[in-house]
Amino acid sequence: MTIGATFGRDADRVSPVESPWAELRRRVSGRYPRDGFGLDPQVSDLVAPVLDLLVRVHVEGAEQIAPGAATLVMNRGLGVAEPAALAVAVAREVGRRVRVVGAPDVTGLGGALRRVGAIGSSPAEIGAALAAGHLVVVPLALTWLRAGAGTPPLELMQAITSFPVHPVGVRAGGPFGLAVRPWRVTIGEALERDESYPAGDPLAAADVAEAARAAVDALLHGTVSG
Amino acid sequence: MRVLVTGMGGELGTRVAQLLEERDDVTEIAGCDFVPPRRRLRRAEFRRIDPRRRERLRDFVLDFAPTHVAHFGVYEPASRLSPDDASARTELATVTALSAAARTGRLEYVVVRSGLEVYGPRQNRASIPDESVPPAPRSPYGSSLLRVETVAAGLGRRHGVAIGALRYAPVVGSHVPSPLGRLLRLPVVPVSATNDPPFSLVHPEDACRAMVAALVHGHDGPLNIVGPGAASPWQAVRLGGRIPLPVIGPLWGAASRSAELLGAAIAPHVVELLRSGRTGAGEAAAVLGLGTLRSTQEVLTDLYEWAEVVPLAAAQASAA
Repeated sequence: MTIGATFGRDADRVSPVESPWAELRRRVSGRYPRDGFGLDPQVSDLVAPVLDLLVRVHVEGAEQIAPGAATLVMNRGLGVAEPAALAVAVAREVGRRVRVVGAPDVTGLGGALRRVGAIGSSPAEIGAALAAGHLVVVPLALTWLRAGAGTPPLELMQAITSFPVHPVGVRAGGPFGLAVRPWRVTIGEALERDESYPAGDPLAAADVAEAARAAVDALLHGTVSG
Repeated sequence: MRVLVTGMGGELGTRVAQLLEERDDVTEIAGCDFVPPRRRLRRAEFRRIDPRRRERLRDFVLDFAPTHVAHFGVYEPASRLSPDDASARTELATVTALSAAARTGRLEYVVVRSGLEVYGPRQNRASIPDESVPPAPRSPYGSSLLRVETVAAGLGRRHGVAIGALRYAPVVGSHVPSPLGRLLRLPVVPVSATNDPPFSLVHPEDACRAMVAALVHGHDGPLNIVGPGAASPWQAVRLGGRIPLPVIGPLWGAASRSAELLGAAIAPHVVELLRSGRTGAGEAAAVLGLGTLRSTQEVLTDLYEWAEVVPLAAAQASAA
């Protein structure tokens, strides 16, 4: 795609921020792209340094992420902190944006989260994002204050079986789950796929879901290194 | 291949006829519309027929006996016709032309113009619908397009004919009569105050290439024809150097009437786009071998690039 089509901003790769005056001029003149999911790469790039300051991360296994579409299945304690930590980790180590599943269907809030990379929680959304070559983050169910991996969203797993699936463990750096030290983000190897299943098979989805949950759990408990 | 192009008088219909004229495998081309073609045609035969004159339209199609039909006799509300007229002419052109073509017994393939409007407002669960997402139109134009697809599909089942439906993103260009294009070129453009959703466009030339490719490939089923990337109302308005006017829900009616007074009527499907967005995905470019389509941002840039009108006397003086 030409510079004229995207105005120098990419929907998949993080771009450096220009001077505040240049960014403002770009905004006022409409010279910024959007993507179909609602991502606003300029806003996303402007938010990234702030997030980088607020959410400190220590990353292991970033080299596991190959170019192209893939799914990162991650644990989640209270909700937004872990996906934010993973987004910062991937942007810093790989230079790519992540599409986090779970944009709420609420006017204003949904649109705002989509501007920074969230997508809807449905197989159609995940399938479209993967088909477009993006890195999709599928959070497991909330575990609140309990350590470990939550339940996989089975209804979504069918959409990801044709693409590489990486387990990701995200742990708070401090004691008792407090983020007083950098978050520890561990990205695991892509899960092995059982090629005997046809694409989109529900049993394959259930297998992938269970394998991903177990792999995330292993990363969190340190029994597997990234 | 004997190709009938309904709606040949429109920008897209005329251009499709021109592209078909360049092909050796197309032996004859005939078309009809209630307005004359917008460019010179060398081989194609054009007949000026209003779809409301059903007998004339039926007889013309029966006489020509097409093997392939490119059905562009689908009229967008507020493009060249009022919403009621557009809907009525679309219905008449579809039913009359397609049923007459089927009655000749020579029909092999039909491709109809449709649009992303059939998916209805953009949904959180499928913000970029592909062809597997069930249609759920909410605007009169979306319903009209779905009706065209349904009529064509029914005809295909009865007569054993393959039916393609090209679901276009809004086709916008500096010379294409389109309510969205006209609206975006107003000096002040109404936009949603609470939402700035993405929408995609397709370039008129890509839309025409897709129609010709569909005729050649004979693709059966719907295909989304969408330019890569997206824009948003606020961004598009500023890219054109226009002023966005934020509008909240109840005031859209007043905004529509004001825009109509300024010469750019806003049909409900355009309001739907401005408030909810409209995007789509699919494998059309690969299936039809279209190569790279122009991106939405390029289509927008093209929309705002008008050829400058230079007064002749002033031009001659400056040349001297």
